[in-house]
Amino acid sequence: MNLIDTYVSEVGRRLPRKNRLDIEAEIRSVLQDLLEERSQTTGKPVDDELTFEVLKEYGAPEKVAASYMPERYLIGPRLYPIFLTVVRIVFPAIVIIAATSVIINLSQHAATVSDLASAFSYALVGLATSAISALGNLVLIFAIIEWVLRNEGITVKGKDRMKEKEWDPRSLTRISTPDQVKLGEKIAEIVTSFAAIVIFNFYPRIIGFTPSLNSVAETGNWSSVTFVPLLSEAFLFYVPYLTLVWALTIFLDIFLLRQGTWNAVTRIFAIGLKLISIIIAASMLAVPSLVALTTETLAAGIGDAGAAQILMSLISQIVHIALWIVIIVESIEVVRLVYRQVVRTPAHPPLPGFVR
Amino acid sequence: MFHYTKSIDILYHIQYNVANGETMTNESFENVILELRRGVIVLAVLSRLDQEQYGYSLIKNLTDNGLEIDQGTLYPLLRRLESQGLLQSNWRVESDRPRRYYVLSDEGRTLLPRLKEEWNSIVAMLAKMLS
Repeated sequence: MNLIDTYVSEVGRRLPRKNRLDIEAEIRSVLQDLLEERSQTTGKPVDDELTFEVLKEYGAPEKVAASYMPERYLIGPRLYPIFLTVVRIVFPAIVIIAATSVIINLSQHAATVSDLASAFSYALVGLATSAISALGNLVLIFAIIEWVLRNEGITVKGKDRMKEKEWDPRSLTRISTPDQVKLGEKIAEIVTSFAAIVIFNFYPRIIGFTPSLNSVAETGNWSSVTFVPLLSEAFLFYVPYLTLVWALTIFLDIFLLRQGTWNAVTRIFAIGLKLISIIIAASMLAVPSLVALTTETLAAGIGDAGAAQILMSLISQIVHIALWIVIIVESIEVVRLVYRQVVRTPAHPPLPGFVR
Repeated sequence: MFHYTKSIDILYHIQYNVANGETMTNESFENVILELRRGVIVLAVLSRLDQEQYGYSLIKNLTDNGLEIDQGTLYPLLRRLESQGLLQSNWRVESDRPRRYYVLSDEGRTLLPRLKEEWNSIVAMLAKMLS
């Protein structure tokens, strides 16, 4: 294989398979022309030295290959500001959760210096892992949204001709109208639904306490750390149903982002989802033991039966309140959706003097 | 001594800023020139392709007419113009070497006079603005 072949194949392996052979053939032909011309003008023979000279001028293979490719990105300029906003919300939340878990653990155990050090290092490791995993998931979600939205706004017709979808200044007056889908709101919903699916399906034990942190300090053995999950089997029974609702919510949100506006079908679908959520939350209210913790396990952890009882009743109250909040919020949403469907705002008349 | 040092200091700052400003101006100048040239390449290329040309001959033609164009810019541009329907190409073997020849398509031929008109009106407009 001569130098030109090596160079051409270096460019080719960076090109999409579809056009590779054609572009390779073209570059090879151009380089041969260049060599011949250079040899004639300088009087030098066509040898490795002259080939090196010509290849250097033609450019590095990666640069040449890149010039044939369109700009590609995971998260484009349209979504990047929203991505940054979400990251700015998610990361402090992770830090707060990590800090809270350290405080809870320390309050449960005797706070010697080594306890403090263990709890702190454990929290740091947890924080780093959560941060990396959260960032990865966020990038994944945004990359999917970017991919879905790619053709929205720009349509490719015929021979790859790019045609901008016409922007209507009347859309400015519609911004606050109920039919407009709010990009930030939908993306936040997609992110939280996705996070809920991941956490409750794959890491249900992440939500819990570590009553045995003391033993780390005593034995120096990290494997002795065991979580007592907060969520009971009775709660986990509901996870498949909740997952279905979250998945359908993501599906609906992506659809809405593509459509840009609400219509009767999407509203009815959303109302259906909200009603299912209300039914699930209501039936969960009737379950006596959504929390896996018992007063006994808590008392063993804290070492104070009275405090354990108060804490236990507090946790159970919080779960109930959370469920009631879900029911109330979702009910308000249902009423809002029904109201907006029934009392539709009339379409705007054409703007005076608007010339196309 | 104090005043002397201070003066030197101020002088240094002034010199630095002037030099820096000059560099920035040159850089901005080159960027604008680059942008301007980038804008005219498509029209220049189309104007040379009423007759068939292969890549190297086209570059030579453009250079002879005073427009230096980077190899890496030209070939992707030719492909893009072909995918837009303004050019068409075919491979031909000449002196044992395959070469890709580009020429204006029917659509390109229809469009070129309109593009020339547009260019002339841009030139006239700018001449008026810059006079």
